Amino acid sequence: MDAKLKPLSQSVSIKGDTLFSRRIGLKGARRIAGGLWVLGLFVPALFDNAWISIAAIFAIYGIVALSEDIILGRAGMFDMGHAGYFGIGAYVTAILNVTFGWPIFATIPFAILVSAGVGALLAAPLIRLRGDYLLVATIGFNAIFVLAMRNNLGGITGGSGGITDIGVPFLFGFQLASQSAMFWLDWVVLGIVLVLMRNLDASEFGRTLRYLKQDELASTTLGVDSRMVKTLAFAIGAGLAGLAGTLFAVQISTVSPSSFVFTESVTLFAIVIVGGQGSIPGVLLGTALMFILPQIFRDFAQYRYLIFGFAMIAVMVLRPQGLWPQRSVRA
Amino acid sequence: MSLLDIADLRVNYGQIEALKGISLTVSKREIIAILGANGAGKTTLMRTISGLLLPRSGTIHFDGVGITKLGADRIVRRGIAQSPEGRRVFGTLTVLENLRLGGFTRPHGEIAGSLDFVMSMFPRLAERRGQFAGTLSGGEQQMLAIGRALMAKPRLLLLDEPSLGLAPIIVQAIFRSLRQIARTGVTVLLVEQNARMALKLADRGYVLEVGRIVLTGEADTLLGSSEIQTAYLGGERSDGASLLS
Repeated sequence: MDAKLKPLSQSVSIKGDTLFSRRIGLKGARRIAGGLWVLGLFVPALFDNAWISIAAIFAIYGIVALSEDIILGRAGMFDMGHAGYFGIGAYVTAILNVTFGWPIFATIPFAILVSAGVGALLAAPLIRLRGDYLLVATIGFNAIFVLAMRNNLGGITGGSGGITDIGVPFLFGFQLASQSAMFWLDWVVLGIVLVLMRNLDASEFGRTLRYLKQDELASTTLGVDSRMVKTLAFAIGAGLAGLAGTLFAVQISTVSPSSFVFTESVTLFAIVIVGGQGSIPGVLLGTALMFILPQIFRDFAQYRYLIFGFAMIAVMVLRPQGLWPQRSVRA
Repeated sequence: MSLLDIADLRVNYGQIEALKGISLTVSKREIIAILGANGAGKTTLMRTISGLLLPRSGTIHFDGVGITKLGADRIVRRGIAQSPEGRRVFGTLTVLENLRLGGFTRPHGEIAGSLDFVMSMFPRLAERRGQFAGTLSGGEQQMLAIGRALMAKPRLLLLDEPSLGLAPIIVQAIFRSLRQIARTGVTVLLVEQNARMALKLADRGYVLEVGRIVLTGEADTLLGSSEIQTAYLGGERSDGASLLS
């Protein structure tokens, strides 16, 4: 792992910025994160099936929340329709697998590309909208998506019942059918996404996003093509959500419009804001609070949104930067 | 040959016409001052030249090429950089990082040379290179904003109110540096409310009033003109008539 970290720290010293390099103890933090991820691999050995599926759901929603964070936390664009991209990925996999008989793994590139494409197409005209206007426009997109799926668009989305009996993935001839196997798949993909997010932070593109968020006018006068960067941020965020959609379709083996409604987008939005914008541990913490904590206090599960609602109010008043904020913006 | 050529430029904010047909030229190696009170359209003109705003009609040519509809990032790449109104340095980045960011459009290898140039123009920035821009004084931030614009190695430098909110002694220091910068061959288009400082530095000037150019001429002539004296330099009004109308 050390060898992988080296080029990163080099790039920090050569052309990085303090927004990033001020993350003191970065290496230590990474080791802890890597260690937690490895520990996570043992979940199937230590817990029963119910908990394995909860961990799998955490991994999947963790990816979606991180992808929302690219658009909302890093680029600073109010995307309140993110469940839509998640849904597109899930539907692409479901349709290709069930209707056309494609293997699950073959559907992944298409799930990513279609979501990313829709994200970019949608972003291009919306990008000039500011804050709240963009928010309303993305809600509109989410509503249209759900409506289209409910009305059995093109006769292939299955209406409000959705698409059932989605197959299981095969890998090197092995069927990933057990709860444990599916969890491992989700967990590995989460790991890959975490590495991608880390690289994004250190990349020129990642830095450009931070400059743009901090002062769009100043960035533009320095030669940042804000339209291009923002559209790309939307495409990457949507594409990653699409990838998570595939995992979701496999995990639940059913996709239906109700999984991708507006309130799901609100939840993702809230996870990022409450957890900490632009902060990987913050977003994962937010995801855990939303998807794992309710399982521990199962008797109170019906109060999930009530508790989370109060938590949101409390966090916004007491800790507007989020529970676990991006280190760089503290100073 | 003129470096910048603006013809009949009209810019609207919704229904409100902010620039009502502006024409001006800037020759190579000239320093041009654009004077005017608040709301005259100075910043609008700057933002339109740099591509942040699209004009309703009219044309802008830079070095003979039309740039009227180019995006702001393309215009920077063509050689027009600006120090925006209110400085807008990145407070959470250091002086050095802000300057490097100014070279965003250029290959990494070329940045070092420009960095040396900027540091020699503003030795203060060299002293504070490791300091966060947010902790600099207003004058130092202004130097940083100008230095950052220079990092793009512009042929035309746009300066939007570099004297804004600064003590006179600092303003003088900054204007001395501007003169030095201009001597290196950079053409400067300067927007200012501080007419005296601007005209002392400039070769020529334009006076902008509610979206129109109402007066233009050599800087010395403008400095001596009674209209400028009364309107901007606190001179006595002899007739009591409204300014420049």
